[in-house]
Amino acid sequence: MLVLRRRAGETILVGGEIEIEVIEISHSRVKLGVRAPCHISVIRKETLAVSQENRLASDLIASRGQEAVGELLQLLNRPDPGRPGPT
Amino acid sequence: MNEPSSRVISPVLGEIRWDTDCELHFPAGLPGFERHKRMVPVEIPSQRPLVYLQSAERGEVCFLALPVLTVHSGFRLRLSEEDRSLLELDQSEATRDDTPAIGADVLCLALLVPVGGTFQTNLDAPIVINLHNGRGIQIVTPAAAAGSWRLSRSGAWEAVC
Repeated sequence: MLVLRRRAGETILVGGEIEIEVIEISHSRVKLGVRAPCHISVIRKETLAVSQENRLASDLIASRGQEAVGELLQLLNRPDPGRPGPT
Repeated sequence: MNEPSSRVISPVLGEIRWDTDCELHFPAGLPGFERHKRMVPVEIPSQRPLVYLQSAERGEVCFLALPVLTVHSGFRLRLSEEDRSLLELDQSEATRDDTPAIGADVLCLALLVPVGGTFQTNLDAPIVINLHNGRGIQIVTPAAAAGSWRLSRSGAWEAVC
C-alpha cells in the first residue's frame, strides 16, 4: 500500500484520470472530494457489500416472487414457543 | 376521480397504478441500484407487516422489507449529517444526539435477503424514509452496530454472529 500524507486542500492523482482532494480534516474524519470519469464507480468500501445484498434482495422477488413471500409468511406467523397458549 | 398517473408491471405484484404523490424519492437510489430514485411502497393487508418497495423505474426491480422494529425491538437509528441532509430533516431544531422518532418522523425498513433456506436482513443498512416529505435513503453503518439478523425455523429473529 502506498501511504501519502496530505494537508487540507492538497490532491492525489490516480492513473492520471482520478483526482482525490482532501477538502477538510476534523478530529476523527477526513472529507475527500473525488473527480473521476463517469464510467468509474466511486463508493465507500462498506457500500459494496450492501450493493451485493441489495442485488440478492431484488433477485429474491424477481426469481421466486410469491413463492418466497409464502415461505416468509409461514415462518413469520409461526406461533412463538415462548408465548403461553390458550388455557 | 382522476386516473392514477403512473403505472408499472411488477412480476410479483402485477400491474400497479399510483399517483406521483405516493412515490418515495431516493436522491441517491440504493447501493447497486443508483438509478432507481423513485420507489412505490406497497402493502398487502393480508401480508402485513411485509412491505414491498417497488421501483417506479422498472417493474422487475422490487424488494421485500420489514419494519426494523419487528426484527429487533432494540434497534437504534443512527444518522450522519449527510444522511439528515439527504432526508431533508429539520436540522435547525436538531442537536447532534437528536434522532427522529421511528414511526412518527421516519419509517425504517430492513430489506430481506435469502440465505441458506431462510431469510436474513442487515440492520446496519436500513432503508430510512422521511414520513414528512417522502424522501428515502439506505444508510450504511461502517462499523457493525445492529448487525445482521436471520429468521429461524421457529419464526424468531436471531442475531448472526
